[in-house]
Amino acid sequence: MKAICLASAMTAVLLVLVTCWFQLYPSAHRARQMLFVYLFCLALLVVLWFATPDDLGFLARSLLIEPAWLDFAAALFFFSAAFFGGALQLYNLCDRGFSLRILVDMLEAPTDAVDVDYLTANYSGGRGLGWMYRKRIDDIVAARFIDQANKQIVLTAKGEMFADLFINADRVLGLEPPQ
Amino acid sequence: MTSSPALVALVAATAWFLVFFFVHVGGVRAGFENARWLLISYAASFLGTLVTAIVLTAWYHGVQTILLAATMAALTSACLFALYVPALYTVLTSLSVQTMMLLRCRGGALPEAELYDRFASRKIMEERLATLLANGYVAPDGPSYRLTPRGRAIAKFFRSIKILWNLGPGG
Repeated sequence: MKAICLASAMTAVLLVLVTCWFQLYPSAHRARQMLFVYLFCLALLVVLWFATPDDLGFLARSLLIEPAWLDFAAALFFFSAAFFGGALQLYNLCDRGFSLRILVDMLEAPTDAVDVDYLTANYSGGRGLGWMYRKRIDDIVAARFIDQANKQIVLTAKGEMFADLFINADRVLGLEPPQ
Repeated sequence: MTSSPALVALVAATAWFLVFFFVHVGGVRAGFENARWLLISYAASFLGTLVTAIVLTAWYHGVQTILLAATMAALTSACLFALYVPALYTVLTSLSVQTMMLLRCRGGALPEAELYDRFASRKIMEERLATLLANGYVAPDGPSYRLTPRGRAIAKFFRSIKILWNLGPGG
């Protein structure tokens, strides 16, 4: 249970730190900011795990995870899963979710019912779908998956490797890659 | 000699998650609707995880240890699911990933305008609205769409997180 208690507490600390940092020092690279907070909290978790007694001073003996290495590994796994599968995904959904942004645009529209043309033109508070796709292209250029030259988009060697990985994942799911 | 209840729970959760993975992939390949099948198959595997961990622990241990094993099993399973779902939806719906796959399938290069036609057009908005409609987040209103109560609740929740995290419109 020590692993569960410490990982839960550290996830709460991470969420508070991320919220404070985003409010006080917003940057264009928020995912990177979150990763720094995660690494800081991970280091803190390791220190706390070694610095505290196995029973945390209140856990019954039958609630201790044994062997001790399993408790340590479980603490790291639960905390990392809470970050990569929870907090970071929540951020991704909020900041990059296409379908969610459509729902928020509908919520903020001047009328209850809106048509496809309105949503296409006013996506993301009036920026439009062109802006949305430009942002994605810029991100995968920055990650060096693609290059831009003479109004052409070209896959890099790194991009080819990852594209093959995704195409194989599509095939595992029985889906046809886009043509 | 008895095994560590936590280790038993961990192994049970991992084994059941593998069963879930193969059942989910098999169902998607067989043409089942992804979101519904994902939830049904995971719910079954979660139940299997809990029952296995409880039964295997109850044989040798008391109530508190059973509670520990059940909590470990449930959390391990939930964590594996939380890591699996974003990876799955990245492959299925990410426009960046779709762009890279399209480029790979079309020889590695495409005109920028062709990509914009495909991924930033009215058609892709229609496709997403169709998905939102099928999942009950929006409802048709003549030629337009309006939010359902479920869609409104989701939109309000995520808008409040955006405000809390100072994120701007995004999308």
